[in-house]
Amino acid sequence: MDFGEVPMKPEMMAAAYGSLKYSFHFYTHSGSVWRVTWAHPEFGQVLASCSFDRTAVVWEEIVGESNDKLRGQSHWVKRTTLVDSRTSVTDVKFAPKHMGLMLATCSADGVVRIYEAPDVMNLSQWSLQHEISCKLSCSCISWNPSSSRAHSPMIAVGSDDNSPNILAKVQIYEYNENTRKYAKAETLMTVTDPVHDIAFAPNLGRSFHILAVATKDVRIFTLKPVRKELTTSGGLTKFEIQIVAQFDNHNSQVWRVSWNITGTVLASSGDDGCVRLWKANYMDNWKCTGILKGNGSPVSGSSQQGMFNASLGSANTSLQNSLNGSAAGRYFFPPLDSPRAGSRWSSYAQLLPPPPLIEHSCDADTANLQYPHPSRRYISQPLNLLPENEGV
Amino acid sequence: MEKMARVTTALGGNTITGRTMFCHLDAPANAISVCRDAAQVVVAGRNIFKIYSIDEDQFVEKLNLRVGRKPSLNFSCADVVWHQMDENLLATAATNGVVVTWNLGKPSRNKQDQLFTEHKRTVNKVCFHPTEVYMLLSGSQDGYMKCFDLRKKDSVSTFSGQSESVRDVQFSIRDYFTFAATFENGNVQLWDIRRPDRYERMFTAHNGPVFCCDWHLEDRGWLATGGRDKMVKVWDMNTNRAKEIYCVQTIASVARVKWRPECKHHIATCSMMVDHNIYVWDVRRPFIPSAMFEEHKDVTTGIVWRHLHDPYFLLSGSKDSTLYQHIFKDASQPIDRANPEGLCYSLFGDLAFAAKESLISSDSNRKPYIGDRRHPIFFKRKLDPTEQFEYISSSSALSVFETDLESGSMDWFVRTAKQYVLAGRPLAELCDHNAKVAKELDRDQVAQTWTMLRIIYSSPGTVPSANLNHSLGKGSTSLPLMNSFNLKDIPPGIGNESRLERSKGESRSENILMDSSSTLINNDENEETEGSDVPADYLLGDVEGDEDELYMMDHENPHAEEQEYILPQEAFPLRHEIVDNPSALDHLQDKADSPHVSGNEAETVSLTPVESFSLISISHSLYENRLPPDFFSPIVRDMLLFYAEQGDVQMAVSVLIVLGDRIKKEIDEQTQEHWYTSYIDLLQRFQLWNISNEVIKLSTCRAINCLNQASTTLHINCSNCKRPMSNKGWICDRCRQCASMCAVCHHVVKGLFVWCQGCSHGGHLQHIMKWLETSSHCPAGCGHLCEYT
Repeated sequence: MDFGEVPMKPEMMAAAYGSLKYSFHFYTHSGSVWRVTWAHPEFGQVLASCSFDRTAVVWEEIVGESNDKLRGQSHWVKRTTLVDSRTSVTDVKFAPKHMGLMLATCSADGVVRIYEAPDVMNLSQWSLQHEISCKLSCSCISWNPSSSRAHSPMIAVGSDDNSPNILAKVQIYEYNENTRKYAKAETLMTVTDPVHDIAFAPNLGRSFHILAVATKDVRIFTLKPVRKELTTSGGLTKFEIQIVAQFDNHNSQVWRVSWNITGTVLASSGDDGCVRLWKANYMDNWKCTGILKGNGSPVSGSSQQGMFNASLGSANTSLQNSLNGSAAGRYFFPPLDSPRAGSRWSSYAQLLPPPPLIEHSCDADTANLQYPHPSRRYISQPLNLLPENEGV
Repeated sequence: MEKMARVTTALGGNTITGRTMFCHLDAPANAISVCRDAAQVVVAGRNIFKIYSIDEDQFVEKLNLRVGRKPSLNFSCADVVWHQMDENLLATAATNGVVVTWNLGKPSRNKQDQLFTEHKRTVNKVCFHPTEVYMLLSGSQDGYMKCFDLRKKDSVSTFSGQSESVRDVQFSIRDYFTFAATFENGNVQLWDIRRPDRYERMFTAHNGPVFCCDWHLEDRGWLATGGRDKMVKVWDMNTNRAKEIYCVQTIASVARVKWRPECKHHIATCSMMVDHNIYVWDVRRPFIPSAMFEEHKDVTTGIVWRHLHDPYFLLSGSKDSTLYQHIFKDASQPIDRANPEGLCYSLFGDLAFAAKESLISSDSNRKPYIGDRRHPIFFKRKLDPTEQFEYISSSSALSVFETDLESGSMDWFVRTAKQYVLAGRPLAELCDHNAKVAKELDRDQVAQTWTMLRIIYSSPGTVPSANLNHSLGKGSTSLPLMNSFNLKDIPPGIGNESRLERSKGESRSENILMDSSSTLINNDENEETEGSDVPADYLLGDVEGDEDELYMMDHENPHAEEQEYILPQEAFPLRHEIVDNPSALDHLQDKADSPHVSGNEAETVSLTPVESFSLISISHSLYENRLPPDFFSPIVRDMLLFYAEQGDVQMAVSVLIVLGDRIKKEIDEQTQEHWYTSYIDLLQRFQLWNISNEVIKLSTCRAINCLNQASTTLHINCSNCKRPMSNKGWICDRCRQCASMCAVCHHVVKGLFVWCQGCSHGGHLQHIMKWLETSSHCPAGCGHLCEYT
């Protein structure tokens, strides 16, 4: 659930969902904060951040005790600062829950470090467990979230190294039980452009892994473990790697990818300022199911824009739901909480005049959405949406 | 164009060319300074004092100023400065407190010119006046600054900072008489050169020592200071009180700052320890450098721009004994790698998206819709009103896209999890119930699956023995159901029907067809197929004489119940009806009313005729023999795998639990465990603790089962003596009394014990509830007014 922020200020916002209340900000890093990430809720309200200042910091939210002034109020406490890196720490990720409280960082000099808090109650003690040298400047990492015993711990590392002599930009490291070390299991040879983000899909019982890569386009790979031979047991898993989708719809660098909780919908954002949603149909064909733009302006280019008229949007949504059974890619902005939001941090932020609703758009070849009549459009609209809640 | 022209004129026709290059020095450098013509650089250190000429692609040693037989501390330089007006004039600050000037124009080998031994401790900094040839300023560890006239033997004036050691002194470029001095206690003082008695102005700039300062090159009255607190601050000195206008946060204590020529907002820094890089910052973008030079292997001690009007060449000396020329083109630019966007899914499918404003507001002149209340919340950094450079703006907008509630992206998961019934009822009921739940959530495919599972697994043997004709009725009811397996009838909402599903659907329908037709066989044919392993196709072929079972199915449907099966639309309400019925028995009765295969009639008649009786028995045995649920196991297994691969681990686990032993052996333990852990984790993410516990309880995996067995111990104290109870028995060891007595019935409470937190009396939940309905006082008679909420 990392919020992934823009390099802007070394302060962190912990936004409470729902009311989206700006709850805290704290200056602590002395450089841009590249990323923040939440630990599994089982470990409490724990955040980790990494920064240009070569450190990663672990935070914990404490609900005020004893002190009367702080009673009931929560505040964030810096639990530890990991200072092992010699260069900018570019990404930080908590390991999946079943591995315990572990944290991986990667840095611009190509070192992936894995820390562990042996005592989950004591977040100020982290020991450096592994150092993996990737030999190329790392920009992002992702843990394989699978909880299956059949899958050993695995990390994918992406690089934004510009040097021309290093071609493959995504490496996958796997933990070897015998040597108790991480070793390179695979290299995605086809990814040769700088990689900005990388994300394993939540596994949820799949036998294979899905990996999304943000580079100059969006790519989705599947990694199917090839059954281990008895003779090579204990060795590294071999994978059958397939690229299942590749989209350059952003027409620019893709900066972020994020999976939904079930690993069925991928959101990507690029330099075009749009968020695109991708979903596979039953044929494993990945398609764009929605384009979201931050300021609500229509998406230009190609035949795929369809504007939801703001006043019609909500009313029609339910209608369409009942007809199609489901909907994906219809996102609405939350109602603006202007008085509170405005007064709360008027010194710091200002509210822009309300931009309109976001557009909704569908797959290029499915439907022309310029309908004069809202009632007609759904009749003539055949299955343009991949159902979101079906088969997810 | 104008700027380019200015550069050339400023350089006097000499365009600077070069590349990133370095040379090894004999010893670590402490400071460097560049000659006015940008062609030579002097490097000074504890053991080095040399002049290099900067050629096209290399440094060439021109002159070694360390001459003489006996090494003198005067050569040990802490700082060096080359006069910007006189190419022959150099000054060094020696570690022994001596200020030395050097005249390169001297014919002798020793170029030492003057020696001022006035400071008592190390001189940290020397500085020539920018326009006055003979004026030299020094700042020392002893806390004094001295101004020298090079034409005189002694200092002209001494300034006492009355703070601590002086770390840097810099003449103002704008004011002829003004210089700034920085101190180890964090202060910055401004002095008038004519008034040595008292500073003009003093302010505290940093927390801890201020190591360096630099006046802005274009006379703006801007002073940049750098300190041990890792900050570079830019002060506007034009106003009465020095005003901090920018603050750059670096990652280590700042040793040197140098404004970049020709770039109003750029400043180069290097650090005193830890960090060996040289950064060039845009002061308006304070947390990430706009350029970074990473060549040095040890602390960089001196940085200087090669030419006063050229922003692209930077020279640096380092403790690693190298002298570098950096070209801006070769700098690494962290901003380029900085990710301008953030994107994240929430648990429920909301999407948070933060992006640089320039990216998303490219067309901001667009008119907003009138009357729309839904719009994003923008977090916007307040911009400096004087700010006009758009490119530098680092403010970002955060928008949250909410899924609308009706289709609430993950809502279906929660509702399904809550409403599914996984155990405690007959299989058929469970399946029907779950199908209904799925149906209500518009998950037709899942509903279908549940219905199919019911048909497959609720064999007559498991159904209450009341209906002898169940197999017959079964046959009739499964016919309409079968229709729904037909691909044509899949409602358009189910887009992701899988290939797998299709093939399964086909095979399923043929199997059921076989089931239904089995009754026909009994009538028409003998028992030739009974007990044999003849595949279904054969059987069907025998009966109908039709090769294609798909077509056959279509043929047969109208044959059986015509008015209901011609139109697929009509299949919906019918299936709905079946699904809605909670038990198989009920819709059996419904079917009995239909005029076709008359279950009821058959039943009533079947009491007497022998033929009908045999029919039933045979069909029963046929069913048992030919269609053991095992027959479907591979298909069901494939289906479960399919759901898991599709990310619907909920379905996989639910079916696994409902079917229990029927399917368990088909799927290896490890996969099951994987599904369970995934599903349980998902449930817990949605805070569905009860359901996750139920799943754990119902699971047949040992590894899962023990999940909720850990740390279940409750430690209790005796209510009488307040001592810990031993873990056996209900009687306290010490006071020999029953510890947890019900205040109402005076028996030991074994199980749920409820007690008042006020008076600590309590008892059986039921008893206490009942008691408090009628009385508000504690049942123990203590007089406390207990409350049960």
